[in-house]
Amino acid sequence: MGRYVLRRLLLMVLVLFGVSVIVFFIVHVIPADPVGALLGGNAPPQLVDQMKHQLGLDKPIWAQFGDYMLGILHGNLGISLKSNRPVTQDIAEYFPATLELAIFSIIISVALGVVLGILSAVYRNSWVDHFSRIFSILGVSMPVFWTGLILLLIFYYILGWLPGTGQLSLFTIPPHRITGMLLLDSILTGNWEAFRDGLAHIILPAAVLGYSATASIARITRASMLDVLRQDFIRTAKAKGLSGRVVIYRHALKNALIPVVTLIGLTFGSLLEGAVLTETIFGWPGLGRYIVNALLVLDYPAIMGGTLFIALMYSLANLIVDLTYAVLDPRMRI
Amino acid sequence: MRKSVILLVGAMLLIGIVGFSAIPKNTLVIGANTGIFITLDPAVCYEVLPSVVDMNVYSGLFKLQDINGTIKAVPELAKSYDISKDGKTWTFHLRHGLMFSNGDPLTADAVVYSYKRVLKLHKSPVWLYESLGLTANNMNETIKKIDDYTVQIVTNKPFAPNVVMSILAQSWGGIVDPKVAEAHAVNGDMGSAWLTDHSAGSGPYVLKMWKRNSMIVLEANENYWKGAPRIKRVIIRDIPESTDQLLLLKKGDIDVAWNLTPDQMNSLKGSKNVSIVTVPGQSDEYVGMNAGWGPFKNPKVRLAVKYAIDYKSIIKDVVGGYAINNQGFIPYGYFGYVSKTPFHQDIEKAKKLMEEAGYPNGFKVELVTNTTERRRSEAIAIQANLAKIGIKAQITIMQASQMYSKYRQQGIQMIVAGWGVDFPDADALAKPFADYRVKQLAWRLMWYDDYAADLAEKAGFEKNPAKREQMYEDLTNYWFLNGPFAMLYQPLQYWGVRNELKGFKEAAEGYGLVFDLTKVYK
Repeated sequence: MGRYVLRRLLLMVLVLFGVSVIVFFIVHVIPADPVGALLGGNAPPQLVDQMKHQLGLDKPIWAQFGDYMLGILHGNLGISLKSNRPVTQDIAEYFPATLELAIFSIIISVALGVVLGILSAVYRNSWVDHFSRIFSILGVSMPVFWTGLILLLIFYYILGWLPGTGQLSLFTIPPHRITGMLLLDSILTGNWEAFRDGLAHIILPAAVLGYSATASIARITRASMLDVLRQDFIRTAKAKGLSGRVVIYRHALKNALIPVVTLIGLTFGSLLEGAVLTETIFGWPGLGRYIVNALLVLDYPAIMGGTLFIALMYSLANLIVDLTYAVLDPRMRI
Repeated sequence: MRKSVILLVGAMLLIGIVGFSAIPKNTLVIGANTGIFITLDPAVCYEVLPSVVDMNVYSGLFKLQDINGTIKAVPELAKSYDISKDGKTWTFHLRHGLMFSNGDPLTADAVVYSYKRVLKLHKSPVWLYESLGLTANNMNETIKKIDDYTVQIVTNKPFAPNVVMSILAQSWGGIVDPKVAEAHAVNGDMGSAWLTDHSAGSGPYVLKMWKRNSMIVLEANENYWKGAPRIKRVIIRDIPESTDQLLLLKKGDIDVAWNLTPDQMNSLKGSKNVSIVTVPGQSDEYVGMNAGWGPFKNPKVRLAVKYAIDYKSIIKDVVGGYAINNQGFIPYGYFGYVSKTPFHQDIEKAKKLMEEAGYPNGFKVELVTNTTERRRSEAIAIQANLAKIGIKAQITIMQASQMYSKYRQQGIQMIVAGWGVDFPDADALAKPFADYRVKQLAWRLMWYDDYAADLAEKAGFEKNPAKREQMYEDLTNYWFLNGPFAMLYQPLQYWGVRNELKGFKEAAEGYGLVFDLTKVYK
């Protein structure tokens, strides 16, 4: 097991190196000028040149790449051109909000997806199954920004059941920052008003973000359940005279969930990606919004740092999935 | 099963009773996309919306004000000023008893410190100071304290008074409390990192909080020398999506929506709770032709293009009517504004000019613009207009940064772009649009016209207003016929505003250069 983990870790380092090389060159081949973007259209050329020199952007690209890689090895992702702060500090500020949103989305999508999947497998070809199928197709095909706006229109504007954008209502006093995750901090500081308000605010973005994941989890659960339900040990269980519910939940589900675990891991990574759009629509102060803003002004260090960080999270999620798998299924360790 | 139903209902109740509190009467809530906010240090800040914060948090020696439709610089912290005979030495007399929001006295030392601070930090706004001849190298000679209430600056040329006052009246002329800035200085940055999201000024408001990508909170400065403002708290909520801004505005969760589209604005017409507020924008939207490239070298071809464009339809269809048909470079409401609109679509005349220039069958040209929807629509409209006189324009859409980078290197054949006014004086427009020597727009389009450049420069120094006005009129007339620009329009700025909020139009007059929150009340 130790060797397996080590091998996986080495592989991860290799992947991250690859990502940083690709991101660096993609960002640098764009024939655009970040300093110009930063200074705006009116700035005279002397000022642009001066700024470029200050930021080291007048060096040859190989020298810039060398500086960048050296920085990464020291855990330094550079200074954001826009915020003028270390990118790592920016990420530390914005990531918790994204993480919290992703965790909520996962909870919603797993809970909903697994239940829908089981129901449509057990009641195959019934209306539940059809509903689940339509729901899933919609989930995979509807763009996040559209779903987001429609849900806001219905639940906030027309029905008034849920609040509008942002993490908290305007006049709710936020909890003292400990982890940066608003709900967790509210619990830790006993600020129940902020907790309740924060919970109401996270529902819509988490649901929107988790929707497509819900859909794929439901489909995989259904397929996997159907597969398991056809196997001999289920028939044996049924023959023993166990009740339908026990057969489904105790025997079938446990085995059917193994492929779902993989999917959840992968989904977690894509939730971080999906956050880019969701956060813009819901005014969520997370990493996705940070990267979008960085893109708009071509803030190289922030774009590269943010992307690299998401790649790191993605790899970590995959690693955890693989390890879980290895625990669940000893054949994987070979 | 029953247990889970009860749990679900319980959870829904818990969340369902979320209180949606109304906005208090003494609070103003603005919904805006704050993605552009970089810093609120007045010596560094250069973007339009963040400057609104700085203008209301810091005060300068002068202040921009709308006086009968003209934006002018008037004395603020300075009670009066003298100009030497040669027009280069300015002596400012400060009001007595001024203080910063924390109670520190505001004297000549703070003014000298703040001006030198802009020069030393050398960020985006510095070139405006440098255009007056004030630099980090000569600042000890050119910016001086005479006594506690007197400051002197020496410019390198005898600029028209409005030029100097207008430059000092903007957010980068805001006076910073030296004690506070130096107390927070790190590595000689004069407190710049700290002032990114804190304030040390003497304006009507104090920056209470900037939670990035979430909100900016200003609180009334009870020590403000003109008396604390009526609105005690201003909150700028980050709402990046304009559709969300519209929903929140209609619902009453924000008082003002800052970034609506023309379509969304028009959807508000006839609303009971929300009004549409517009003011002339401080910018120009234009088509530029590179006078150093192929057919555009010929002034007749440039003139043909000006007669090929359907200005009216662009204003009506592309910007939903939110624009002024201004064809000169000096905006409406400015000293020197020329109300003449000589150009309208006249295909016959344009074709004739093309023939005379030797291009009866037209030519191919690359038309560059950036990614915003408005610019793209403008480029498409112009492409169709040009096709009528045989010019085949191929549209290339670029990221703004990429476009400006190419533009600065004189590498663009034809462009649709805009120009924001840097300070409210005709000089801030005549130079970029007509004087290639300042290396701005005329230079980027290779219009090396010495007659226009000389006239633009001379007008900047002219002390006699009547003569100066005539010079700008002459320049505009010459520019109409020879210049490489077809001015499309002057945009209007527009907002959706809740009816409870009063005084917003007065506050917004001159937006782009000035925004006075003290005029707003409920």
